[in-house]
Amino acid sequence: MTAMNSRSNIDSRLNRAQFLRIMGGLAAGVAVPGLLSACGGGSGDSNSLSLVGVADEKGPLDVLTKAYTDSGSGITFKTSYAPTDQVQTSLRAQLGGGNAPDVHALYPGSGSAMSTTDIAKAGLLADLSGQAWTSAIPENLKASFQHDGKVYLFSSGLTVIGTIYNKSVFAAAGVQIPKTWGELISVCEKLKAAGKVPLALGAQTQWVTQLITYALVASHVYRDTPDFDDQMLAGKATFAGSGWKESMALYMDLRDRGFFNDNPNGTTLEQSTAMVGTGQAAMAVQVAPLLPAFRDAATNKDDIDMFPFPSADTAERVYTWSAANVGVGVHAKSKNKDAALKFIEFLGKQENINTWCEVVAAIPLKRDASSKVDPALQSFLPLIDSGRVAPVGSRWPNAEVQPTHFTVIQDLLAKKITIDDGLKKMDEVYRKSS
Amino acid sequence: MSTQVLEASPTPPQERPAKRRRPRNRLGPPWLFVAPALLCYGAIVLYPSASGVLYAFTDWSGLGGWSFVGLRNFDSLLHDDRALGSLRNTLLLTVAIVVVQNGVGLLLALGVHARIKSRMLLRAIFFAPVVVSPVMVAFLWKYVYNPAPNAGLNGVLGAVGLGSLRQDWLGDPSIALWSVAAMVVWQYAGYSMVIFLAGLEGISKDVREAATIDGAGPVKRFRYVTWPLLAPATTINVMLSTIGGLKLFDQVFAATAGGPGYATETLSTVLYKEAFVFGRYGYSTAVALVLALFVAAVSLVQIRYLRAREDQA
Repeated sequence: MTAMNSRSNIDSRLNRAQFLRIMGGLAAGVAVPGLLSACGGGSGDSNSLSLVGVADEKGPLDVLTKAYTDSGSGITFKTSYAPTDQVQTSLRAQLGGGNAPDVHALYPGSGSAMSTTDIAKAGLLADLSGQAWTSAIPENLKASFQHDGKVYLFSSGLTVIGTIYNKSVFAAAGVQIPKTWGELISVCEKLKAAGKVPLALGAQTQWVTQLITYALVASHVYRDTPDFDDQMLAGKATFAGSGWKESMALYMDLRDRGFFNDNPNGTTLEQSTAMVGTGQAAMAVQVAPLLPAFRDAATNKDDIDMFPFPSADTAERVYTWSAANVGVGVHAKSKNKDAALKFIEFLGKQENINTWCEVVAAIPLKRDASSKVDPALQSFLPLIDSGRVAPVGSRWPNAEVQPTHFTVIQDLLAKKITIDDGLKKMDEVYRKSS
Repeated sequence: MSTQVLEASPTPPQERPAKRRRPRNRLGPPWLFVAPALLCYGAIVLYPSASGVLYAFTDWSGLGGWSFVGLRNFDSLLHDDRALGSLRNTLLLTVAIVVVQNGVGLLLALGVHARIKSRMLLRAIFFAPVVVSPVMVAFLWKYVYNPAPNAGLNGVLGAVGLGSLRQDWLGDPSIALWSVAAMVVWQYAGYSMVIFLAGLEGISKDVREAATIDGAGPVKRFRYVTWPLLAPATTINVMLSTIGGLKLFDQVFAATAGGPGYATETLSTVLYKEAFVFGRYGYSTAVALVLALFVAAVSLVQIRYLRAREDQA
């Protein structure tokens, strides 16, 4: 019996030792590659650039990185793309941890976790000022590309907010494209009488809530006060004491007239897109890069078109929201900074700007004979060329103003607060330090 | 021979039988087993968490340097309407989830514990949502909660003649929080069920039979026999669902992102937004610290109360 116990103890000790060796080996096997990969970031290889972009950039950058490699540059790319919030989270952590990719997604202006001004302020972006394409940046959009007079953002072009609409629904209801606010109201009434939802609004997707305000504010604030952002930053203006109030009143007038779908706060962007695509709704105020999604949702792709949102009483007074598209920047501490800067110079060539914009339905920063602007965006070109544009929301002093605007609109749609309450809240958040 | 030894030196009554002791100068096998995991846990969870506490007292933006701001972040938290609103929402959600999830879980457990032919299949079906990713569940429920009158849940209500109960499930600020709670309960009631089921399996058949012989009906049997003996399972279920409710994030963020307005904002969504959307890592860490202490305090109180109940049972 004693002998058996001893034998058993020896066996169990041996088994334990074996077990621990196996487990130790497994733990090391799992942990070491994890630690090594966690330390990754910039590629470190001078012939390879790491690039992290948002999902919207995958289309154009897949084409352009391949073209750059094929052009004999000797550069290859390690690319990864993810939805905006995921990229913002991971990129900021990488920038904070000192292992950011060589080239990464960057948003114009200020007021978001990965916006140009905020990252440039921290000294983490390489200066692009000397590059040829920078001369094409329109005067009224320079603040979106710059910090302290230096250019840090590469963006291929402009995007606009406008009215995406279903042409067959318009034809069936016998209405024409409205050019003024009064005409818009009249068209909406006719569409409603015809049993259609005049304006699809998917306000459950929070960023969608801001689009109608921005479209209205472009005409009701920036047309007469082009330096409104400077006044706000200097503390000389407020949301509550500006055309923002009138804009929100007009937005809620559309709600009160019953021109939106039922329950916009419970309706998602995808549901509102399908409503226009299938002809259940006639219009949606949206950003141009969503044109392909509306076309995909439509029974007939040619039914989908776009026109400037008629936000003013006369056509001549209509301004449109327009801002630089999401672009890319170069990490200031990249070991491959020179190679990355050369790649940005390549992106800035006219043919490459054209390629990028064609893929994402944007309007090139500068246009030449070879530029192909999406037919749905042709009606915006006169406004852009005559400077009747406003990049509303691209110079917020902190990243909380925009989300606060989302919640204010949702609360207004739910009739939980008044416009004055909402604007007061936005003013309070605007005055918070970044 | 052994008899003689026993007779010669009888064991004193106060002495217990000798225990097998492990040599004190060696790390016992249980610790050796635990050591690798403990080491990983310490390096990956404990150390970063403890060092992260420091940031709660700074103005760190996630980029570049930071400076100490003392208790300013905690002071701001006390005056932050959004954070306080999210605390209220978190508590309401937790109470709803703890009560309903465990109530439904218990009913399901009692149901599938009965001798019915399909009980194994039903157990698998009720447990199935637990293994689905919470984010996927949220996306699926967004379709169920489609506010259109003929879609999703509203469509079903209309089809069965309950059209008057149609709601804007996620868009109406007054019910959005409860819609989220229902989604969570749907997913995790099966989890509670499994724990209650384990408790039910552990109750001796003899005890219930004795109660039956004594004339106790099904209700009395449950009230005076089954329910008290389920106390350990109840403790675990209540603890786990409370902790899960207090740190609820995935389903809320994927379904409503805290909206409409701030109607479904929870402490977890606030701390996420403060850090990763607003870039206020210092303040966000302060919120996280308060949340962690809050969860710990609630759990401690709960465990004391529920353990006392177990002892009574």
